[in-house]
Amino acid sequence: MNKFKTASVMLIVLLIVFILAVQAGILAGSSKTGASAEKTKYTATFLDIFDTRTEIVGYAYTEDEFSEQAALIKERLVFYNNLYDIYNDYEGVNNIKTINDNAGKEPVKVDQEIIDLLKFSKDMYELTDGKTNIAMGAVLSIWHDYREYGTNNPERATLPDIDELKAAANHINIDNMIIDEEACTVYLKDPEMSLDVGSTAKGYAVQKVMEYAKAQGMDNILLSLGGNISGLGTRIDGTSFRIAIQNPDLDSDEEYIEKVDITDGQCVVSSGDYQRYYYVDGKLYCHIINPDTLFPSEEFAAVSVITNDSGTADALSTALYNMSLEEGMELVNNLEDVEAMWVYHDGTKVYSDHFEESIAK
Amino acid sequence: MKRNDIILIITILVITCVSVVFMWFHQRSATGSAAKVVVTIDGEEYGSYPLNKDYTETIELSDGSYNIFTIKDGYASVTEASCPDQICVNHFHIHYAGETIVCLPNKVVLEIVGGEEDDVDGATH
Repeated sequence: MNKFKTASVMLIVLLIVFILAVQAGILAGSSKTGASAEKTKYTATFLDIFDTRTEIVGYAYTEDEFSEQAALIKERLVFYNNLYDIYNDYEGVNNIKTINDNAGKEPVKVDQEIIDLLKFSKDMYELTDGKTNIAMGAVLSIWHDYREYGTNNPERATLPDIDELKAAANHINIDNMIIDEEACTVYLKDPEMSLDVGSTAKGYAVQKVMEYAKAQGMDNILLSLGGNISGLGTRIDGTSFRIAIQNPDLDSDEEYIEKVDITDGQCVVSSGDYQRYYYVDGKLYCHIINPDTLFPSEEFAAVSVITNDSGTADALSTALYNMSLEEGMELVNNLEDVEAMWVYHDGTKVYSDHFEESIAK
Repeated sequence: MKRNDIILIITILVITCVSVVFMWFHQRSATGSAAKVVVTIDGEEYGSYPLNKDYTETIELSDGSYNIFTIKDGYASVTEASCPDQICVNHFHIHYAGETIVCLPNKVVLEIVGGEEDDVDGATH
């Protein structure tokens, strides 16, 4: 009799322990999304850097952990934003606007990061036979003003006068940008010239920030700065990040024109007439200005570049947009690890030799 | 063991099973994947709307600018806006988790939270 009682009591105790164990297991399981074995995918969006949209995709055990990573990346992006800005002043910072403001006056002492960007941009000028030129500020600012006005007043939108553009084009010689590496200064010899780093700065900053993130021990990060996309590592499950390339035809039923898988360190950038533009008499004029014609290029709807350096991808996508297909194809196929896709206005796609290897299956 | 003991043990077992099943369901519905559109203005949440219910809302900003967005058949889009560039209006409708429509001039962001996953991690614009 007593024996039975002891056995029953023990059984009940065991059962209670079992219940507690099961419930504890479930609770641990339910908080899995909060903190536990698996990392969750998170996205952070910022609207206040480089006048565009920034998206950071990453994986972490908790949202706080991801936010910390995203904040570190954002901090670096803001640092570059302030240095490479051509429109705004920042207290205690000599940036590219400061250099422009002192054109023809005096050399400006700047951060090494500015020197590096300008040297890189000049390399890109040489690589692309002048098809991307950061010394074109005098011409680009005219288009910028007409585009802003035309966007805000569509009825009164007009085109800049060709003589005005030609006059400005007398002041776009990149050799008048004097870099003194010893003194860490930049001087624009021509008082009428100005720098516009729109074709290189975003891509270059993305590259630098991703190198920084890697040095901080981060992994499995995808950074997009206004469509300059760069991957660090892979998705958390080891598969490649998959990037969709926007269809330049905004009226199409297909949002994307291609999907590509990128390996560790690869970058994708597109340049196209669907990004920033305005209409004059029903005709579209985009923001990419051909240094030869001083007018927007029109041959392609978009050009996308895949390579392992985001700055190069940014500069090349602009340059290829300004080149003929033959010129561009020759350039790309002679460069190591650079692939490109040209999209015509009717949706026709042309690939460089190995672009198709990246297309998602 | 007495008959009562057995009844007690069975009762406890049943309660355990029922509570396990209940908590399992509860957990699924809590973390569950009902997709919604979350609207933020300059980072501040403005509202949240289920993606499975057709709906139209006008977001009015203090300076008089506005964005009108519509949810229809599980897709959200900006149908009208006061911004000069109209990028948000021209943007493709969104449906998959994580997709966004951004109106930079008005600092308005529509984001899909939860729901179906796309196979894409990022997109060029």
